[in-house]
Amino acid sequence: MNGPVRIVRFNVLDRLFHVFIMVTFLIQAVTGMGRLLFSTNWGKTVVNLFGGYDGATTVHKTVGILMIIGFVIHIIYVLAKVEWKSWRKSLFDADSLVPRPADAVHFGQKVRWFFGLGPPPAFDRWTYWEKFDYWAVFWGLPLLGITGLMLMYPLAVSRIVPGWVLNILVLLHRAEALLAMLYIFIIHFTIGHLRRGMFPMNECMFAGSVELEKEREEKPLWIARLREEGKLEEAVVPGPPPWYRVVYFVFGYTALTIGLYLLVTIIVYRNYIKWH
Amino acid sequence: MDLRRLLRMAVLQAALGLLGVLVLWPPAAPAQEEVTSPIRRYKEREASTGYYEDYEVKPRRARPFVGAPEVQRRYSPVTPYRPRAAIEPQARSYLQDSHAGIQFYETRHCEECHVKEANQAHTIRGNLTCRQCHGGEPIAGINYYYSPMNPIRRHAYVCSKCHEGASVSFATYEVHERETGAASTRKTFPSLYYTNWFMYLLIVGTLAFFGLHTLIWVGKESYHAIREKMKPEPESKPEIEPEPEPEPEPQEKAPPEKPEPKEPEK
Repeated sequence: MNGPVRIVRFNVLDRLFHVFIMVTFLIQAVTGMGRLLFSTNWGKTVVNLFGGYDGATTVHKTVGILMIIGFVIHIIYVLAKVEWKSWRKSLFDADSLVPRPADAVHFGQKVRWFFGLGPPPAFDRWTYWEKFDYWAVFWGLPLLGITGLMLMYPLAVSRIVPGWVLNILVLLHRAEALLAMLYIFIIHFTIGHLRRGMFPMNECMFAGSVELEKEREEKPLWIARLREEGKLEEAVVPGPPPWYRVVYFVFGYTALTIGLYLLVTIIVYRNYIKWH
Repeated sequence: MDLRRLLRMAVLQAALGLLGVLVLWPPAAPAQEEVTSPIRRYKEREASTGYYEDYEVKPRRARPFVGAPEVQRRYSPVTPYRPRAAIEPQARSYLQDSHAGIQFYETRHCEECHVKEANQAHTIRGNLTCRQCHGGEPIAGINYYYSPMNPIRRHAYVCSKCHEGASVSFATYEVHERETGAASTRKTFPSLYYTNWFMYLLIVGTLAFFGLHTLIWVGKESYHAIREKMKPEPESKPEIEPEPEPEPEPQEKAPPEKPEPKEPEK
């Protein structure tokens, strides 16, 4: 291989989880927005792609249950990854996504760098915004899943809690969904696609590997740690084959287009969006 | 003397009487004029030929401006199309016929007055009409004891038509969506009000924080890239170079970089 040296960052299962949440999230976003804007022609057109209002609702509910199952599998996977004998180290070391005091320090350094007051922070394996992305989904999925599941069975739920709680659940479900869409379509897309050096697309979530030289700039502590532990050699992997790059570029840009289209729709139809 | 006083009193009384007549006399002429509305009068052709369309003869049907009643009401609180409700809305909810005494009630549609109430999920999504829940005429007020909409029997008489097995608890769900952030909601439905503002602040806060963070970040990176490109020509090298150096230093103390990763490639 003559290309740049690449080291592994995400294993196959990590990437599959990401692809899974991309597909399910976009289906939920499209069916949800179509139903939310059902009073407009746009909403009716979108909903008709799924066979009308009831069809879109069925798709929304089914995919929602799939997402909950996926989330449970993810939790099992994460719990299996923790080394419970030395749980304190396993949970709070630099390879873990659990927030650490260092993240606050990094954020402070980043802000100083924004205003030209210091060098950019040297990150370890996970930067603070990557951790935020992960935990935002981690809090959003249960919230949407539980409110959605409760709204799916209003008669049963109203036997346990008063019926007006469903009013609040509708509000929570829609608001959290809007927050998730706006965050993903504005901020996650900008970081993943528009940053310098990333421009057409940050491929690491699909390729699973990153260029060593690029990571040395942004995440020097990670590379240094790998070398100290003698894991750098194991981490070197061949780059993704060209056909695979074509596949994930098409896939990624399809998702990006759907997301941006939905973002424009949210902005255009903002007056028709009902919180509740 | 007596005669002059008498005359003066007569003139005063006549003036007062005339004033009284002027005030109390019914405005005969405008009432008899043929108009569709107080604002737009009949055009000359109709007035001279005596030929009127059906709808023109019905009172107060033609509107001065085309638009939704909601919009009209926004600009003027008093429109000719607003029912002059002799009874306050709150009291109406106790009547057997909640629309009793509203002018031209037969010619109106529900959504002309109940704009917000008509625009809600059961009508838009469930494709229901108002009467499928509220029933035929006379529509009883919600608090009227024998009304099917009365909370004591609403679940059985209304909700369970579609939601089989609906309970009293289920029927406390508010079907007509209210303005969640409004001050009135704070008093009547505080949990919804506070949830609304919590989620609103969460969305605005998250987007503002990370939006600004990303914007400055992307801008700063582009700025550095542009300066980097323009570097070779001007002699500003020493200004920029010291910056990136401090970070790679600690790593370079470690053993040489490239030979190690290259080994497994063989």
